[in-house]
Amino acid sequence: MIDGIINMLQNHWFWGFLTLACLIWYSTVTIYVAIKGASDIRNMLRRLSGAKE
Amino acid sequence: MNNFTFVDGSIVGLYLLVTMVAGVMVRKYVGKVEDFLVAGREMNLYLGIASLAATEFGIVTCMYTAQNGFDKGFAGAIPGVLTFLAMFLVGYTGFCVKPLRDSGVITIPELFEKKFGPRIRWASGVVIVLGGLLNMGVFLRTGGDFLVNISGMNPDYLEEMMTLLLIGVAVYTILGGMLSVLVTDYLQFIMMSTGMIVVTFLILDQVGWSTLVNTVQTHHGEGGFNPLKNKTMGWSYVIFNALLNTAAVLTWQTQISRVLAAKDTATGRKVYTGTSFFFVARFLIPGIWGIAALAVLTPDQIDGNSLLAMPKMLGLIVPAGLMGLLVAAMLAADMSTDSSYMLTWGSVIYNDIMAPFRKSKWPEKKGLLWNRAIIAVIGVFLLIYGLWYKLEGDLWTYLGITGTIYLSSMSVLLIACCYWKRANSWGAGAAIVFGALLPIATLTLQKIGPYTDWFKKNDTVCGVAVYVIVALAMIIGSLLKPQFQKGVRTF
Repeated sequence: MIDGIINMLQNHWFWGFLTLACLIWYSTVTIYVAIKGASDIRNMLRRLSGAKE
Repeated sequence: MNNFTFVDGSIVGLYLLVTMVAGVMVRKYVGKVEDFLVAGREMNLYLGIASLAATEFGIVTCMYTAQNGFDKGFAGAIPGVLTFLAMFLVGYTGFCVKPLRDSGVITIPELFEKKFGPRIRWASGVVIVLGGLLNMGVFLRTGGDFLVNISGMNPDYLEEMMTLLLIGVAVYTILGGMLSVLVTDYLQFIMMSTGMIVVTFLILDQVGWSTLVNTVQTHHGEGGFNPLKNKTMGWSYVIFNALLNTAAVLTWQTQISRVLAAKDTATGRKVYTGTSFFFVARFLIPGIWGIAALAVLTPDQIDGNSLLAMPKMLGLIVPAGLMGLLVAAMLAADMSTDSSYMLTWGSVIYNDIMAPFRKSKWPEKKGLLWNRAIIAVIGVFLLIYGLWYKLEGDLWTYLGITGTIYLSSMSVLLIACCYWKRANSWGAGAAIVFGALLPIATLTLQKIGPYTDWFKKNDTVCGVAVYVIVALAMIIGSLLKPQFQKGVRTF
């Protein structure tokens, strides 16, 4: 794993770095948005049902 | 079938069931047209990020970005980097999106009416809907082609499979509008992202970074890493894509609708800055899949079709079990795009094209009924035009013309509307006419006349020229219109 990352940064570092950044950012954001997004949906539906009453 | 087993089918079936149920369940929260079109403007940051990312990544996107990787190497991901920069800067500075969201409008043409009058609003609505619907018209078949190639399914069932999928998407979009779109986009974002990340790690593990780099070096040389040294790209390609992607960030209705549905302007801007880096992943991750296809497949397997190389490669290397996740991920990507596109183009038809027919405010029930009927008609159009009608000619050209017709004029109109006091309806009208005619003229000159080769070779130069000419049309047209102040004509 570590060897693979070093290889990516040594072998055409710009695209290697960008690919790593994408994978790390995307994995993190997916987990974060999965948790926070559920709470956003609950709040949105609560406010909408409140507005209808 | 390739590696598609009963387990994979169960994963896909379960995913589809959960999405449909969630999409239909939120219909009870829709009470007004504003709830239906912009979710009552109650969308918060993380839901906005999930929705924008899911909407802007469909199977058709995956196919073209992978083809870019196959044909241009890593340099093919440059449009993604440019979109990231444009979206981040627009979100960070609030350029155009702040005045747009502050104005409280539902669509961009509604803002244009305040500056340019009702005729320009109507004309803008027509251009947006024409460009958007024709652009979307090819999504279903391309999505079907991907699924057939990846799963090894019998192509004879493509039409039936995609028809059922479209009906399912249309049902929850018609019932719940933007609320259903947001909730299903959230589920689809999680499914799509999980599938994309897992498959990319699998490719990096099985093919290896060194093999990917060496493949690009062998086939494309230095041009596979640097767009300025790539003979099919160069400066004009970079500048054209910078203009195109900035225009899309500012005016593409499915993107801007997330800003308009946000609970306030600050949240809308944060949705843009927070989602911006996704656009690098949107190009780079499928681009790597395309490069892997170039590395793994033989010329016989590719059979001269670089568009279908990536799904063929995935069909060979993705194992059973993971294949279900991948197909569900790609279905998620396609469903979120279809639902959002149907809703947003429908919103422009109702809000802007039908505006002259609503002399007084319609009751909410009548408005909702019309919106739902419009989405149903769009669904029928997609079915007939996009699936059962086979498109003649090349798809890239088709997408290019439909996109540029809309983006060049609408972006110029929006910037002028927000920041140029002297801009007026003459300039706006001229920009719309030139924005629509020039791309068609360019494409015609690529097919007929004495300079076809020059126009084909310099298509991105022509693309840049369209944006410059449309901007000039706005400036000259606006300056030519006489100004009136307190009943006195001034020049």
